[in-house]
Amino acid sequence: MKFDYKRVTGFLSAIAFTGVLLGFAGNAVSEEYDEDTYGPEAPIVFTSPVKAVIFTHKLHTMDVGLECDSCHDEIFEMEIGSAEANGDYTMQSLYDGKYCGACHDGDTAFASDTRCTVCHIGVKGFDRMFGSPKTDSHSGGNH
Amino acid sequence: MRIKDLEKLKNEGVESLPSDERRSFLKFGLSVTGVFLGGSVLSLTSARNAQGALGTMPKAQKFPYSPHYTMVIRQNRCIDCERCMEACVKTNHVPSYGYRTRILEQEREVGPNETERIFMPVLCNHCNRPPCVRVCPTKATFKDKKTGIVKMEYKKCIGCKTCMAACPYGARYFKEENRAVDKCNFCYDTRLSKGETETACAAACPADVRVFGDLADTSSRVYQLIHSPEKVVWVLRPETGALPNIYYMND
Repeated sequence: MKFDYKRVTGFLSAIAFTGVLLGFAGNAVSEEYDEDTYGPEAPIVFTSPVKAVIFTHKLHTMDVGLECDSCHDEIFEMEIGSAEANGDYTMQSLYDGKYCGACHDGDTAFASDTRCTVCHIGVKGFDRMFGSPKTDSHSGGNH
Repeated sequence: MRIKDLEKLKNEGVESLPSDERRSFLKFGLSVTGVFLGGSVLSLTSARNAQGALGTMPKAQKFPYSPHYTMVIRQNRCIDCERCMEACVKTNHVPSYGYRTRILEQEREVGPNETERIFMPVLCNHCNRPPCVRVCPTKATFKDKKTGIVKMEYKKCIGCKTCMAACPYGARYFKEENRAVDKCNFCYDTRLSKGETETACAAACPADVRVFGDLADTSSRVYQLIHSPEKVVWVLRPETGALPNIYYMND
């Protein structure tokens, strides 16, 4: 087979180009994460009503540029577990414009009934973050 | 021109023939293998295999079972909450080391530096040509003549685990308590035979991922879902020829 030099060089220059872009991006994101400005750094993982849904402050504040009062305290109270305690922290509420659905409506941000697994990390995602009691106890078991 | 002279001609390559032209031959069941004398002479061969590659729809046939139990899995709705697995374990007394259904996880590239997480529920596919049934030396596992469910008769199982090796879907495990292989039976003994209309996993799913029903009933939801022409429907490992009855689609 003949070697297509044109394509190969094109590909290489594309790599070089992305390299430059990444270089710029790398410099721009040198800002340190400040919890007072951007909220708690550790991701919040909701386990009720379903296990498990992830939310990161960093993505919504530092990266996208939302202010604290974009969500607090009208849409979400700051206290841990308050949304789950309300009893209506469901997808239907989101479709009705409550909680995440205030922005995730298809206009401001992707709609709540699309791209499920962006936020839903599942039991597997939860176990990866916090360890799985099932696999831990099983490691010395039947195999 | 004599046939001996024809053999000496140079094949100009099928690429020189427009694909429309080649397709019209395929419709007759012939595939073009050579182009000679500027296209005035073609060599052809039977294209039985090529016909399959065209993806023609099989002719409408009757489904072999009644009810023909099936599950349609609307994959992109699955969030791995694993309530299906919990319900299955509880309903069918599945031990902690075993499973009748599982959720697999995949990370798929969808763009530059962008990936998408996919959760894929898997279970016994209740194949129309089940490899597990074919290899069982004692007929402990069999295809139910009425419903098509692949069942187990525990007391006939000698625990050779050949069925576990034969299953293309890894849907079987050895249950120590029974001294026999155990697997999904669409909750036949625990629910369907008691008048329930769906399996424990389907009933427990909060996201309407698992749709259970009778494929032989044209008004059933499973039939409607599978026969929506605008949707892509697929099965797992079709190349095994096992003819599985678990269908996958995105909603």
